[in-house]
Amino acid sequence: MISPSASSASSSSKKKMKQAESKWRTAAQERIYRRRLLEALRSTASGAGPRAVKEAADSALALTARGQSQWSRAILLGRCRPRRKLLLKAGGKVRRGRRRPRPAAPVSVAVATGKKVRDRLRVLGRLVPGCRQLSAPSLLEEAADYVAALEMQVKAMRALADAFSAASLNAAAAGEAESRVV
Amino acid sequence: MGPARSSGVGSGNSGAYTTEIAESLRFEEEIHSIVHPSLDSSPAAGGSFTALLGLPANQAVELLHETGPSEAPSSAAAPSPTGELWRLRLGEHAAGPLHLPLGCSPTFPSNAALVERAARFSVFAAEDSPELSSGGGPSPRLKAEPPDSDSPPPLPIPTEKTQRPAKRKECEKSKAKGPAKKSKSAEENTVAAPKETAAENTDGEKLPYVHVRARRGQATDSHSLAERARREKINARMKLLQELVPGCSKITGTALVLDEIINHVQSLQRQVEFLSMRLAAVNPRIDFGGLDGFLLAECGPLATANGRGGVALDPALWSSHPVTANGARWLPQPQIRHVDVWPTQQSSTAWTRDGAAHPHALLNPGASLFGYDPASSVSLNSNQLKTEL
Repeated sequence: MISPSASSASSSSKKKMKQAESKWRTAAQERIYRRRLLEALRSTASGAGPRAVKEAADSALALTARGQSQWSRAILLGRCRPRRKLLLKAGGKVRRGRRRPRPAAPVSVAVATGKKVRDRLRVLGRLVPGCRQLSAPSLLEEAADYVAALEMQVKAMRALADAFSAASLNAAAAGEAESRVV
Repeated sequence: MGPARSSGVGSGNSGAYTTEIAESLRFEEEIHSIVHPSLDSSPAAGGSFTALLGLPANQAVELLHETGPSEAPSSAAAPSPTGELWRLRLGEHAAGPLHLPLGCSPTFPSNAALVERAARFSVFAAEDSPELSSGGGPSPRLKAEPPDSDSPPPLPIPTEKTQRPAKRKECEKSKAKGPAKKSKSAEENTVAAPKETAAENTDGEKLPYVHVRARRGQATDSHSLAERARREKINARMKLLQELVPGCSKITGTALVLDEIINHVQSLQRQVEFLSMRLAAVNPRIDFGGLDGFLLAECGPLATANGRGGVALDPALWSSHPVTANGARWLPQPQIRHVDVWPTQQSSTAWTRDGAAHPHALLNPGASLFGYDPASSVSLNSNQLKTEL
């Protein structure tokens, strides 16, 4: 897949990308995330509204990422300003010497890519949280990680929502059955 | 034509490379000495090589010493096979990283220029061998040379170390000949060097640097090589993203692929929003205790009514279900319901067994809900209902 011309440069990036993808697909990660999701949901005040639920879910996702990606750090830091240090410490093995994102915006880096590509890269940078001023290769890397994480999040939330509604349905049905039996 | 070529090359470079020019001039003498059998043989050749290279005593030089005497038996044909051998060897090693003898670089004002010249010359080197060997035999001998030629070992050894000297030799031979067509391996080898030398120019210490091999017919400029490396990185990541996003592998063109990726990300984010709305609607009535099955992540939406969190259950909701903590009994009931009501969702989510948390007797049937015997479970349930009430 990787063209033979770039040997060590792309091999390291390929490793990173493979890690990004495979790390989010593991069952262990799913479990971890679901636990965190439940805790987050429990802590939200009931009746707080969907936005709070979404934020809780996103924070749980970012926590599961353990601060190793740009977007996860942006989410976590964006949520709780005063508790930034705590989050950094308590988030588990948060990588300290974080990779310094190249200050060059996507525009200046890839001279070879056309205008359309640059525009789309900019849009992508706006979509992924905290990745606006990122260089093209790191932006793509973050996007891959983010997409994998999002897919896991959707899967987990859907399962959770189904479980909830099933449970409430059960309860309703059970209550009905009980009343009938009685 | 030798001098003319060298001067042409010299003028091509900036005037700073005077030592290189001097060396190139010495090359010509060497070439003459080699090509004309009447001249000196090996030892002189070897000696002049080292003098030419002006390298401090290091392994490369020693290697050269070894190669010199054994290789350049005063026959005209000898240099060609060896040069060719080097080229071929270098071609073999093309797959792996080629390391320049860093230890010997310090004396060179600009390796890039040297190597560029070598690149230009090596173009001719390919032509040399056929011409030379035609004098000595059929051209297929080109390939047969390595095994046949009496050469030496130096090649197998770190051709890396001898790469530059090898280029020199090629230059020398090529100088004697006219312009030639490109040889892929030679070009590749020599082209690889500028990238490395550009990287190592910064300091003479050993550094890990990016090995980039230029493809045939591509510019060997250090700038374009760096740009190409960057583009390769970007392309690699794009490929991985394409694999991640469904339906992108068929699309060609960066802009369209990016379009797809953006759409995918937006759709995922929208789904998250909708799901959060659903969860918010269901939230108030939730008993979080009953959701341990959810954590199990194996059986899809079913494994909800696990009695582990029974203590926290809302009596109104769960009064009919005895909280005897034997979740096994209760699982079948919701399971059956699930089977009826949500037949499609059973296999949708892949849940994995959570090893630590629960009595797994419940989920022993494993991934398939159908592992339970509905009949027996129903009877169990009804019994329990009776006992409780």
